[in-house]
Amino acid sequence: MPDLLSNLGLGFAVALSLQNVMLCFLGCLVGTLIGVLPGVGPIATIAMLLPITFGLDPVGALIMLAGIYYGAQYGGSTTAILVNIPGEATSVVTTLDGHQMARQGRAGIALGTAAIASFFAGTVATLLIAALGAPLTRLALIFGPAEYFALMVMGLAFAVVLAHGSVLKAVAMILVGVLFACIGTDLETGEERMTFGFTFLTDGVDFSVLAMGLFGVAEILRNLDNTETREIARARIGRLLPGLADLRQATPATLRGTAIGALLGILPGNGAVLGPFAAYTVEKRIARDPSRFGRGAIEGVAGPESANNAGAQTAFIPLLTLGIPPNAVMALMVGAMTIHGIVPGPGVMTKSPELFWGMIASMWVGNLMLLVINLPLVGVWVRLLKVPYRLMFPAILMFCSIGIYSINSLPTDVMLIAAFGVFGYVLIKFGFEPAPLLLGFVLGKLMEEYLRRALTLSRGDAMVFLERPVSAVLFLVAFTILALALLPSLRKSRDEVFTEA
Amino acid sequence: MSDPSGGAGPGNAVSWVSQNVVAGLGLILLGVFGVWATGDLPRGTLGAMGPGMLPHWVAVCVAVCGFALAVTGFVRGGEGLQSFGLRGPVVVVLAILAFAVTIRPVSFGPVTTPGLGLIVAGPLAVILGGYASPEARFRELLILALLLTAGCMLLFGDLLNLPIPIFPTALIEAASGKIPSRVMLRLAVGALALIGLGLLLLQRRSSRRAGTDVARHSMTA
Repeated sequence: MPDLLSNLGLGFAVALSLQNVMLCFLGCLVGTLIGVLPGVGPIATIAMLLPITFGLDPVGALIMLAGIYYGAQYGGSTTAILVNIPGEATSVVTTLDGHQMARQGRAGIALGTAAIASFFAGTVATLLIAALGAPLTRLALIFGPAEYFALMVMGLAFAVVLAHGSVLKAVAMILVGVLFACIGTDLETGEERMTFGFTFLTDGVDFSVLAMGLFGVAEILRNLDNTETREIARARIGRLLPGLADLRQATPATLRGTAIGALLGILPGNGAVLGPFAAYTVEKRIARDPSRFGRGAIEGVAGPESANNAGAQTAFIPLLTLGIPPNAVMALMVGAMTIHGIVPGPGVMTKSPELFWGMIASMWVGNLMLLVINLPLVGVWVRLLKVPYRLMFPAILMFCSIGIYSINSLPTDVMLIAAFGVFGYVLIKFGFEPAPLLLGFVLGKLMEEYLRRALTLSRGDAMVFLERPVSAVLFLVAFTILALALLPSLRKSRDEVFTEA
Repeated sequence: MSDPSGGAGPGNAVSWVSQNVVAGLGLILLGVFGVWATGDLPRGTLGAMGPGMLPHWVAVCVAVCGFALAVTGFVRGGEGLQSFGLRGPVVVVLAILAFAVTIRPVSFGPVTTPGLGLIVAGPLAVILGGYASPEARFRELLILALLLTAGCMLLFGDLLNLPIPIFPTALIEAASGKIPSRVMLRLAVGALALIGLGLLLLQRRSSRRAGTDVARHSMTA
């Protein structure tokens, strides 16, 4: 405990320096600004804004990126409530009751509840990360290559189970992602794989290029197809602070949502996405009058929003302690860390404690800022929503191009985002989800490395994965959940969670 | 990058082919392509894995997944193909490519494009890309392009100092030594912003006179 306090003290000393507070503020502001725009989720936002942080020192850069991430995440729920368009996957459920509240003239209270619930969840999650960081890092040190490999297999298994739609399609997407990851020079032997003689492929496909194509450009193409009618709640936003009766209803939902979100967020394989859905389902199940849901129940905003934020933050735990990104956003963080010369993993905490704890402390500062920035600025965000899409997407396109070009100064990278954009568009049209592909791509490189190492150590004996107890357990978990996901009864309830409406 | 459904192409909903059959066939093609592309790499043994080992087996698994998907689609049917927009993808790809070849000199064999820098590539991408939407209007896009480019030049070139070419290479060579690059950048930003704002004011005034035009923004009201 005193350890934790002194660590957090160090963290706050770093996070509260004038420069870092400014960067955190700027990150939150810009992140919200771009996250509010429908069709630009956190992944595209971070990929687009990555170059902005190049000139900063590593701590400042990561603090700003984390701020952008929360901002984008938060901006998503604002659009969900006001326009009925989820800015990203995790705010889908917020549209159900949040937008209904807005229609009833309680938009302000919905926004306020979302902000307060998110802040509370963020605070709890920050403490959780601080408390779990050290023990998990110690755990990471006893992990050998076999265990790492097993852990990643488990993560991918979770990603399959947690993805929407067909299990088979999700597996296929992960495999395609791993295949893409193999493009480029093989690190161990130096041989070129699948480069077809193109020099721009020798270093492999850059992660941000793939992410920007699949999530930035493909999303534009998809949005161009459905010219949806947006209706911004015309009613006044109204008062922002929820009253006593609202608070009494929202508080237990916030507590439950935080617990659910935090737990799911730690899971490798994009557990954070499931958090809001699970929280909403739980709230609806235990409510005395479930028929209120979908008609503007405040619990339907507080629960999912707190789960959303808690999960978004606890997702940092696998990254900071084990060096394994649990989802695409965290994978972008890996990219950002590598650019600044930091190898994510158990070493971060011991080698650069000011970075580790500074980042954790800045998460809380960032949450506080979101509360301060967002509530007064709601009017500005609403205005932003009125910008027609025909003017918005050319701007996004230009930002994407500039952002990708400035990462490596390669025009071929810019061309590749066009290719991946069309590829992603085709995937969406055929009912594939691009998120598992991205995760497979990220973990593919790491997995091959650890698989090789584990098998070299065991002299080619594949049984090593089952003989070592920790890896055996992880494999067992992976296969069990995959088998369960294929069972018809469980599949049905999984679909229910996602389509709950 | 190979396209898993390249064979499908654009087309309207065809009821007798389900989405999954085409998607499965696409995956099989991708898998076979992957097996072929990694065919010449040594696979090694489990104890000493070669560079071809993992990609080969992953590609095989992709093909197997595709086969399973196609079979289930064939047996159970399922959703039909979705309709594809052509205008969006084609125009957006063209806009991105235009940005890529103009931002700095790129050579395709004997041909080298002139590097024109952000001041040309930016507006080009915005205006060209804007036409991906059928609602595009030239003047609106021009104003947007001018203001955005000015903003981006200021942000990326001046404030953040990113190594992104701003001006055409020829212009930089001509001006080197005569005008400091910072000054040139700020002058250009000012000029772009002024023209953009001027056009914006003109448009505002004319649209106020023709008041009905505004009401047509029904999509966003």
